[in-house]
Amino acid sequence: MTTNDIVMLEGGPLIDAAGLEDALGWTLKPEGLCKDDTCVIVNDRAALFDGDRLDVTAVASLLDRPAATDAESGLVAIGAPREQRRAAVNDMKAPDFVLPDINGLPMNFSDHRSKKKLLVAFSSW
Amino acid sequence: MIAVAIDEDVEAVRAGCDGITYPVLIDAEHIVAELYAISNVPTVLMIDEDDNIVQPNWSAYASDTFRELTGIDSEKQMDHIRAWAKDGTLRMSPDDAKGVVGDLSADEEEARLVFRIAAKLRRDGDTDGAERNFERANALAPNDWTVRRASQPLRGVNPFGEAFMEIYTEFNEAGRPYHGVTGH
Repeated sequence: MTTNDIVMLEGGPLIDAAGLEDALGWTLKPEGLCKDDTCVIVNDRAALFDGDRLDVTAVASLLDRPAATDAESGLVAIGAPREQRRAAVNDMKAPDFVLPDINGLPMNFSDHRSKKKLLVAFSSW
Repeated sequence: MIAVAIDEDVEAVRAGCDGITYPVLIDAEHIVAELYAISNVPTVLMIDEDDNIVQPNWSAYASDTFRELTGIDSEKQMDHIRAWAKDGTLRMSPDDAKGVVGDLSADEEEARLVFRIAAKLRRDGDTDGAERNFERANALAPNDWTVRRASQPLRGVNPFGEAFMEIYTEFNEAGRPYHGVTGH
């Protein structure tokens, strides 16, 4: 099952280093920001911190993911890695996603691989 | 065919689904609008067996309801779709198709995230917080219908009343910006 790579955090952008993996799936290690077998080099480690806490929006930025914060409510929205949209607009490769149907059952876009697909975005508004 | 409602009102979407056999998905978080740089509906894409986008974001209609506003003949568009389904004929060459969808600007990208915050606050019952963030999102992307127009029913604004003309007038004055292609 695919999961959409978007995140909504409560409690503001500053998190304990231990909470980073829960938030974004990446871990800060001596060799850099790491996930599975991949590490991203962190040139300015101090820039990721505010005091002894990590700024998750700075980490998102390093991972080329957009972030927005509402200071008053403490909500932090982190978008998908930009490479997913660039795959669509630059490389013409359809990004995968998972969404519920009108009965609440999740459907992966990638379940329809090997078929021609007409993707229609619409709305009630 | 996969239909994605850029919408969180499941009942409003369901009301139009009688007799439909293809999947109709609910995109309350506007994830597809983020991943595919979709800025208005309807937006149609043709995607081949290997997940290549062979017809990028296209303002295509299944009926002539909006013909007066768009000047688009839906039957000609349906013919293109049928031809592709039948024998793979495309209305744009792959070279022409590449690059017709401009990437989101930083503001349009941020607007999607702020909209997501606003929608969550509304669902959580924080009406003031929702309004604050809907306004912020709309200021970032005033001509993005998936942001400004989509916010209207969530803010108690009738999207088919005066509010429509206000957005539509500004949209026209801005040169009808759209991330994709329009026309037959």
